Amino acid sequence: MQVTSGLTLLVNGLTLAFALSFLIILLWYDARKEVTQFFAVFLFLVLLWNLGSFLAQTLFLVRGAGASVRLPLIMLEFGFTGSSIALYALTASLVKMYSRQFRILLLAALIILFSYRVVIFAAGAPDPFIIDVDGSLSLQSRTPLLLFYLLFDGAALYLLWRYQRKIRLRVLKFGLVLFIGGQSIGFLNPELDTFLISTVVGAVATLIISAGIFQQEIFRPLAERKSQVEAVRNVIASIASQNAVDSILELLVRQSAELIGAEGAAIFLLEDDGLSLKTTYELINDRLGTRLPIGEGVAGTVVQTGKLIQLDDYAREWKGSHEFAYASEFFGAVICAPLVAGGDPIGALMVVASRHDRLFDTEDANLLQLLAAQAAVAITQSRLFAGQTELNMQIEQSRNQLETVLVSTDSPVIAIDREFKLIFANPAAASLVGMSKTDSGTAIVDLLPASAFPDNLRKAFREIRKRRSFTYEAILGSRVYLCHVAGLGRPKMQGWVAVLNDITQLKELDRLKSEMVRMTSHDLKNPLQAAMANVDLLHEDIYETGSDDVRQSIDTIDRQLQRMNRIIRGILDLERLRDGVLALELCPPARIISSAVYEMREFAHEQNVTIDYLAADDLPLISCDVQQLERAIVNLIENAIKFTPTGGKVCVAAERDNDEVVFSVTDTGVGIAPELHERIFDRFYRGKQRGVEHVSGSGLGLSLVKAVVTNHQGKITLESEIGIGTRFFIRIPGV
Amino acid sequence: MKVMIVDDEAAIREALGRKLLRDGFDVVLCKDGLEGLRSFHVERPDLVILDIIMPEGMDGLTVCRRIREIADTPILMLSANAITEDDIIDGLNAGADEYLTKPVRLNEFVARVQALLRRSSMANIETEQRYDDGYLSVDLHRRHVHVNGKKVHLTPTEFKLLAVLLENSGRVVNQRDLLENVWGREYIDDVYYPRVYISQLRRKIERDPANPLYILTEHRIGYRFEKQTHGTQSLI
Repeated sequence: MQVTSGLTLLVNGLTLAFALSFLIILLWYDARKEVTQFFAVFLFLVLLWNLGSFLAQTLFLVRGAGASVRLPLIMLEFGFTGSSIALYALTASLVKMYSRQFRILLLAALIILFSYRVVIFAAGAPDPFIIDVDGSLSLQSRTPLLLFYLLFDGAALYLLWRYQRKIRLRVLKFGLVLFIGGQSIGFLNPELDTFLISTVVGAVATLIISAGIFQQEIFRPLAERKSQVEAVRNVIASIASQNAVDSILELLVRQSAELIGAEGAAIFLLEDDGLSLKTTYELINDRLGTRLPIGEGVAGTVVQTGKLIQLDDYAREWKGSHEFAYASEFFGAVICAPLVAGGDPIGALMVVASRHDRLFDTEDANLLQLLAAQAAVAITQSRLFAGQTELNMQIEQSRNQLETVLVSTDSPVIAIDREFKLIFANPAAASLVGMSKTDSGTAIVDLLPASAFPDNLRKAFREIRKRRSFTYEAILGSRVYLCHVAGLGRPKMQGWVAVLNDITQLKELDRLKSEMVRMTSHDLKNPLQAAMANVDLLHEDIYETGSDDVRQSIDTIDRQLQRMNRIIRGILDLERLRDGVLALELCPPARIISSAVYEMREFAHEQNVTIDYLAADDLPLISCDVQQLERAIVNLIENAIKFTPTGGKVCVAAERDNDEVVFSVTDTGVGIAPELHERIFDRFYRGKQRGVEHVSGSGLGLSLVKAVVTNHQGKITLESEIGIGTRFFIRIPGV
Repeated sequence: MKVMIVDDEAAIREALGRKLLRDGFDVVLCKDGLEGLRSFHVERPDLVILDIIMPEGMDGLTVCRRIREIADTPILMLSANAITEDDIIDGLNAGADEYLTKPVRLNEFVARVQALLRRSSMANIETEQRYDDGYLSVDLHRRHVHVNGKKVHLTPTEFKLLAVLLENSGRVVNQRDLLENVWGREYIDDVYYPRVYISQLRRKIERDPANPLYILTEHRIGYRFEKQTHGTQSLI
């Protein structure tokens, strides 16, 4: 027996020394962890048990039975019973079911144990443990301790069975069961003398437990961290090699499930205002693509709150709606992490274990969150990439369309950059100046003759800045082009683009027309001059002496000749105005209306229309081409007289309106229908209004007036009422 | 007074001639430029009326220039061709004193003829005024103008213009006053006359017509003659 007990002591000492060293490392690693703390208490009590046993036996050997053995025996008893309680506490903390009440319960148990000890001491009752004459320890009065044992070890055993999935290390489970088994050996018949075996088993189990905790708390996290880093690196690498969102998602669900050791995984993405199930891995995917409103189901809740949800038992813990059919029947543990990109949730990543499979721990949740973050970045990037690709395609497409248009048009189009180097020239432009495609980048001045550029470049640039475009006539070879230049690029101008229209033929036509007008006027005016001179001579010769008929004839001829003169003059005036050159001088507006009225007074008299004029006193001077402006007003007066019935009245006025001078010509004539107000200013347009068919004219009058007014930076408007009269306004800025 | 009419249109030529005859003028009629030029040498008229567009080689402008090479005789252009002011200015630049566009009423025509003759006959201006700064010297009474010592030939209108400006030297003469005093009341609306004649005058008396020292433009108002006290030599 001596040998056995010595051997046991050695074994016990060594194992407990090991266990102690594990505890020291654990405490040093993280003393604040509850598991570590409970383990420390547990180890302390086991040590107390063993130390008690060791001291009792040693003292017995040295001094024999007596009072000195009493204290070690109490230590033994306290350690033995306390370790049961501590085991229960440790188990509870390992399966993570401790709570505030649980701590109170634990404290109460220790107090009861202590008071029980005091009671039996006071009552003088025999100690539970005794030491035999042969020096072997045995449990004499078993009932109270058995109660403690059954209560706490039983509870620990229950916890182990109930939450067996929460302890993933088998060695730890084995250690815990072994310890419980070891303690039970102590309750066997004292005659069997098995208490020492119980102590040895307890010590060995403690060593196993400490090794298990050591592995769980230190080794496994370290190893897992390494494999996680590896795994995440792999996931990132494989995501990086994919561009399409769908393949990234498929990769992600598979990798997530495999890395975490889940049975299935799924990804939901936010689309419009709901979630859509995008990809699943080893899950029923008949609902692929279906919509899930935000806030519903685990994924919906995760997206809404932005927080991870971890469930150990889906059916029991999840009270919300279900995104998967039969989820309650099949799902065990679930973790769902939000996919967050740029602060906004874009979806959720979910991993699922089946009902009897493992549970997920914090490390798994962390890993899933890590993957989710990576996934969010990858999805966002791939979406951007997809958007970019589509945009590029659209740009390419519109570029092609534009190029086709430019290539197929007959009008030359040339684009240059800010340094006046050629960017683009369509075939029409290239053939125009003999450019080849390789000319791109050469200075435009080397490609085109000076006659192709605006005379005043400074003015051209100013116009383009102000109006974004500038039009001028460019001469290339023997042809004339109307060149429309516009800025290229907004808001910063990167160059210019010019579109050329061949107007050679138009110019030629215009020249011919001007030539014809000149010829016509010359050819018409000479006979007119001859006729008028002869009428004047005739007038001198026979007007006084002739009969009424003769006089009337002479007057008629004279009037008709004057009318003809007016028509020719109208055509020529318009031709002159096209040049737009004004002989500007300062002039009081009153002079213009007075001489215009003077010129027309005879015509008014003939038509039996009274004519009147009125000029305000405060009129400013105006800068104008006196002849032209007077002609414009004469035209208005002539028109007014023509369309005013006999006995009517025409009034010409000049008034001041702020800095403007407003000329007005008012008649009591037939009026102009509103729909004609715009058209009457057109060249050769003649009102086809009833009641005025008898009025003759070239139809040039008002277009001439408008041209004059426009040349003077003025405005012309009119008010008219059928049957009542018309009033024309000309506004000219004052000086 | 003898008036020569050069016009290829017989009807016009004859009608105008008849009117002038009736009003007491001697009239010479020519049907083209060449004939006009020949007659000018023979007849020495007091006034020439020229059509511009004429067939057979020589047009009115050429005739006008050729006459100006040898005489100050007032010339009145009568054209159907004028469309823009530039056409009129071309005519005046060729040396014409007047430019009338067809058709013109006979009364106005005669009034212009008379005004023109009146202007040219104003040779003996009453004032004894002289101007001499060493570079430009003007003798209004004897109608002599010297520039840098050389005698300069001025047409009657040019001389009248210079005289009016000189009489008002230092003061601005506005367009209308200029028109009225140089050309006559009936010309009051022919605003381009002064402009053309001023530039002709500058070409003849200014050292640098583009930067005049004597005849200065008061923009949109009129012109001013500025006497040069030291002569312009000192400015060279």
